[in-house]
Amino acid sequence: MAQVKERPKPFLVSDYCKGCGRCVSVCVKGCIAFADEINPTTGVVPIVLDLEKCTGCGLCIDACPEPYGLRALEAGEEFELQDPAKLFGDKLREVTKPVDIPAEKVALPKTGPLVIKGNYASAIGAILAGCRHVFGYPITPSTEGAELMAKLQPKLGGVFLQAVSEVATVNHMYGTGGAGLPTMTFTSSPGFSLMLEGVSYMIGAEVPGVFVNIMRGGPGLGNIAPEQADVKLACHGLGHGHTHAITLMPSTPQEMLDLTILAFELTFKYRSPVLVMADGYLGQMTGKVQLPDHMIKPGIPSWAVYGDRDHRGNLISSIQLQESDLEVFNRYLQTKYESMKVEARSETFLTDDSEILLVACNTPARAAKGAVQNLRDHGIKAGLFRPITIWPFPVDQLKALLPKTKRLVVVEANAGGQIENELRLALSLAGVEKLPPITSVRRFGGLLPQQTEVVDHVMSICGK
Amino acid sequence: MSVFYEKFERHAHGEGLKGQSTHYCAGCGHGLAHKYLADAIAELGIQDTTVLVSPVGCSVFAYYYFDTGNTQAAHGRAAAVALGHKMANPEATVISYQGDGDLASIGLAETVAAAQLGAPITVIFINNAIYGMTGGQMAPTTLMGQKTATSPDGRNQFNGMPIKMAELIAQLDGPVYVERVALFSPAERRKAAKAIKKAIQIQKEGRGYAFVEVLAECPTHLKLMPDQSEKWVKENMVPIFPLGVKKDTVGEPWFKLAEPDFDAKHFVKAVGASSDATDRFCKTFATHLNPIDISLKLAGSGGDGAQTAAMLIATAAINEGFDGTHIPAYGPESRGGTSYADVHVAKDEVLNPASPTPDILLAFNAPSLAKFGITVKKGGFILYDSSIAKDVKPMDPSITVVGVPFAEIAAGLGNMVVKNIVALGALQAATGLFPKETFMAAIKQALKDKAKLIPLNEQAFDAGVKAAQEFLAAKKR
Repeated sequence: MAQVKERPKPFLVSDYCKGCGRCVSVCVKGCIAFADEINPTTGVVPIVLDLEKCTGCGLCIDACPEPYGLRALEAGEEFELQDPAKLFGDKLREVTKPVDIPAEKVALPKTGPLVIKGNYASAIGAILAGCRHVFGYPITPSTEGAELMAKLQPKLGGVFLQAVSEVATVNHMYGTGGAGLPTMTFTSSPGFSLMLEGVSYMIGAEVPGVFVNIMRGGPGLGNIAPEQADVKLACHGLGHGHTHAITLMPSTPQEMLDLTILAFELTFKYRSPVLVMADGYLGQMTGKVQLPDHMIKPGIPSWAVYGDRDHRGNLISSIQLQESDLEVFNRYLQTKYESMKVEARSETFLTDDSEILLVACNTPARAAKGAVQNLRDHGIKAGLFRPITIWPFPVDQLKALLPKTKRLVVVEANAGGQIENELRLALSLAGVEKLPPITSVRRFGGLLPQQTEVVDHVMSICGK
Repeated sequence: MSVFYEKFERHAHGEGLKGQSTHYCAGCGHGLAHKYLADAIAELGIQDTTVLVSPVGCSVFAYYYFDTGNTQAAHGRAAAVALGHKMANPEATVISYQGDGDLASIGLAETVAAAQLGAPITVIFINNAIYGMTGGQMAPTTLMGQKTATSPDGRNQFNGMPIKMAELIAQLDGPVYVERVALFSPAERRKAAKAIKKAIQIQKEGRGYAFVEVLAECPTHLKLMPDQSEKWVKENMVPIFPLGVKKDTVGEPWFKLAEPDFDAKHFVKAVGASSDATDRFCKTFATHLNPIDISLKLAGSGGDGAQTAAMLIATAAINEGFDGTHIPAYGPESRGGTSYADVHVAKDEVLNPASPTPDILLAFNAPSLAKFGITVKKGGFILYDSSIAKDVKPMDPSITVVGVPFAEIAAGLGNMVVKNIVALGALQAATGLFPKETFMAAIKQALKDKAKLIPLNEQAFDAGVKAAQEFLAAKKR
């Protein structure tokens, strides 16, 4: 006679019963009832089982909302009721500790320079950095970036997905970046505003991603002409919480390519978003762009939630529910921000003997550079200090130039002096108390400071 | 083997009861949905490849329990995050688990867009008609008349009507499988477990987007005992949110993404880079125009070809080993109105790519000539289309002004498109910026996919050269 396999009957550790009673009503045999007393550990009244009449139908198990509530006793399963750690056997999960799969360099043949727009150069930079996942929402004056990606990514096995909004964009990036792959977007000021929620989450969850913000005139819809009015947003307003991001400020199409590549390196180095911010003029500017001698084939970092066995134990999350945990995390973030300070970069032009030091970023730095040349023709010892990172501000590099600087002139395309404010804050935090007089040349509303305006300003403060 | 962690280490560090107990209230529907999801993952053998995206809401801590890859998303953005994961690794099984506030209110745009995209992700939607985590406020699915913390007198017409997500999602083209299930009886629970499994199976096979709406109980905020809340769902929610399959058009597997390509040759081809050295024709930099940096402005109407001509000059400069830049005036103007371009050719480096005071102005029409003629540097050059701009005002005598009928010559060649090439020919002859060969090399480069047009362009260039030479010769006499 064939043996009838007995169906498993329910088992319950009453500490894990919340006493909801969803199992009580489904038992047709009346095996389940509420206990007479409150469980002293949990403070609730659990159910009790009387399995004499139990047929092992399993309906009570299906009705129990707790993973470790009513369970079927598997054949051979044993419990150690005295030792909670071994309650369900001491079979600890096999944890495979993931290792970093490093990125590789792929050699490129030597090619002649490309003659391309800044936006295109940045897109090609991202491709060179190994980015095959681009998300974006079209917005002038950044759209060429998205358009080129839509054209090139499919040819290179990559994905360009036009998102339903900038909010969706940054969250697609959160997913792909959380999976450990390089991802980026092109946007412009109003779009960047919309992404800031996601940027805060990316910083909190330590998700890499590159944002190319081709700044335009604001506030509101403003216009589509160039401005540099998102500096304060990048340096002090990246969504809620303790947020900062390395912010690169290119000034040529070549730098649009080079700094986009650098942005990917830094975003993975620090597991934190990196911004490339250019003005609308630079995005549209065509120039000579030399390709590097290699491109990057990305790996998969050990922390990624890639969706495979090795990375199964990982979590991407910005939640630290316990106050003490969040404090510890934010201390760690502050240490991380401090460590980013070594990435401060700048360039100087004719500063060996300069007494009038111009400070400018992006396209205004080009006008300032031209002005330095003009001023020198007029016998004025002018030089240019160009922050390449606006956060962290290259304060050490600037400090070194201060002893011989008689005047600082900040040239920028916004109304409130956002770059000047960064400069003042950085010098103040660095303990520099005695500053040379600071004046400014500012245009905004979509207009950039012109070379002649810079020359005229400096001539006038020099009394010429 | 369960898909739940043996111990919930992420739940308050797994201390005390929290190591094996969920954070959900007694009788909460989430626990059941979690169990059916865990069972489905286990039965389909996809635990290693699963990425579970948890939302904001009571199920924000789903990652405490599921021994899978886990991502916690911002409020409402779970579907967008899920797509990011799916695009990164199409082999992953990506499940977005969301509540009613998350999916049907703040994340509605992401929800609908992800559904319409149709890429195979699985969305589990827990509809309990209330905001649980924030303490019993009105949800987009709260029933009419239902009292909540933010509809204290009952939901009324000023709060709008409850949104029926399964029906809304089902009428989109993207999803292949949409079902609404419930948890209030053994029969409904069986259907719920089955639907969740099917929705994941569909993804596993690459067949498309699947959506399961689960009517769930929130005894705490309904202020009912768990058994009463089961009854409440059955009697009050089901009439508004009818159960059943809303869409089932599951077809053949279709979702496949290409492998990311890092082949050097493919890259070089895609970006149009070339290893061929370009010929150089310039003996020296045109220092007679400017010792280090020649600035040009090209101006006309949209369609005159000013931008193309500007690009050709910048390309020619770079081919010769100089630096070159081009900035277009862009925006609405570039689509029919005024169109102008600033170009620089520098011996070493273009300092400032703007041309407020150009060495050379190339004007395609009279307004451009009037507007920018006065900005040209002393000793500079102005070239203009004499077939369009008449009555040219006298300029500074140091400026060489050359009128060539660009448009008439192009019309004579039978193609107005080459008007700008006629202009470049005239520019070459009048200024000697580069030799003719330099311009022609840049033109040929630009026309490498339209070689048939090269002879016409060369003719146009030559005609421009000839006309400018004749003009200057006549002026001398």
